[in-house]
Amino acid sequence: MSADGVVAREPAESVTLTDIHPHIQQMAFEDLLEDPVIQKYLHELVGPTGMPVAAAPPDGEVTDEELAEEMGLELNDVRRALFILYENDLASYRRVRDEDSGWLTYLWTFHYENIPENLEEEMHRLLDGLEQRRSYESDHQFYLCEVDSIRFEFEEAMEFGFECPECGSPLESMENSRLVEAMEWRIDQLRDELNVDREAEAEA
Amino acid sequence: MSASDAEASLAEDELAGLELVRETGGIHQSDFWKELDVSSRKGSRIAEKLEDLGLIEREDAVYNGHNTYFLAPTAKDLDFALLMAGDMLSPFIGEEEIDPNSDAFTQWLMNLAYEEY
Repeated sequence: MSADGVVAREPAESVTLTDIHPHIQQMAFEDLLEDPVIQKYLHELVGPTGMPVAAAPPDGEVTDEELAEEMGLELNDVRRALFILYENDLASYRRVRDEDSGWLTYLWTFHYENIPENLEEEMHRLLDGLEQRRSYESDHQFYLCEVDSIRFEFEEAMEFGFECPECGSPLESMENSRLVEAMEWRIDQLRDELNVDREAEAEA
Repeated sequence: MSASDAEASLAEDELAGLELVRETGGIHQSDFWKELDVSSRKGSRIAEKLEDLGLIEREDAVYNGHNTYFLAPTAKDLDFALLMAGDMLSPFIGEEEIDPNSDAFTQWLMNLAYEEY
């Protein structure tokens, strides 16, 4: 600290982690990976065994062997995760032939910049699913077996004489208004966030 | 340059423009400069810069009979938490088809109705 109380700045040299430890790959897309929803999304895609690969995308190109070695993972698990990311536009590869061995090497690049667009698409799909389900819930009456927690549509319940086919206990009329209200609440939120125009769709 | 670095580099009026686009969820450029209380030329320059930095999207639009642009936030500004119900992610992720009557979606809806709503 200098005399006037100002903290002395570090020299503005650009020394990165990879300069000091060339074997440590720098991680990219840190902003995105801080979002817990995005972490959950990646986990959903690649599963727990693929998560070490998906959660720490290196900057630049990398081979599957390098990733497996650095992370101490089975090569097959690494490859499986990479191909899932590839199928979801989140990674790409180019093949290079080793001149000595004649073997093909896959050089992978992560494309997590596509995550927001993928999730935007998922928000539209969720909105579709919610709207279809809301119609179904509003258009049907339901009966419940409180013992087995099984729900029947009115027609089914009538066929069974309003008795549970599993345990024989009486089927009770079931109120689903809370479910429908919750759906409408999330539908409104999604429409608002995605700028889906109610009227424009009604006209189309 | 990451998105947060790009944002940190903005001048005050550019930052105000970005906030306006995000708050409105999308606005025509002809309303944009009026709301910001700057000239149309200045408004156009701000919108261009924000687009160049990848902070907003700018599409051709016709509005009140005039050619203008529609300025929209980028996908990364969306609230992805809307995919969640409780701690469960949308069950349609990773599925080819949307099945609105699947058990997984029912579970998601139960979480929504009894945990969040």
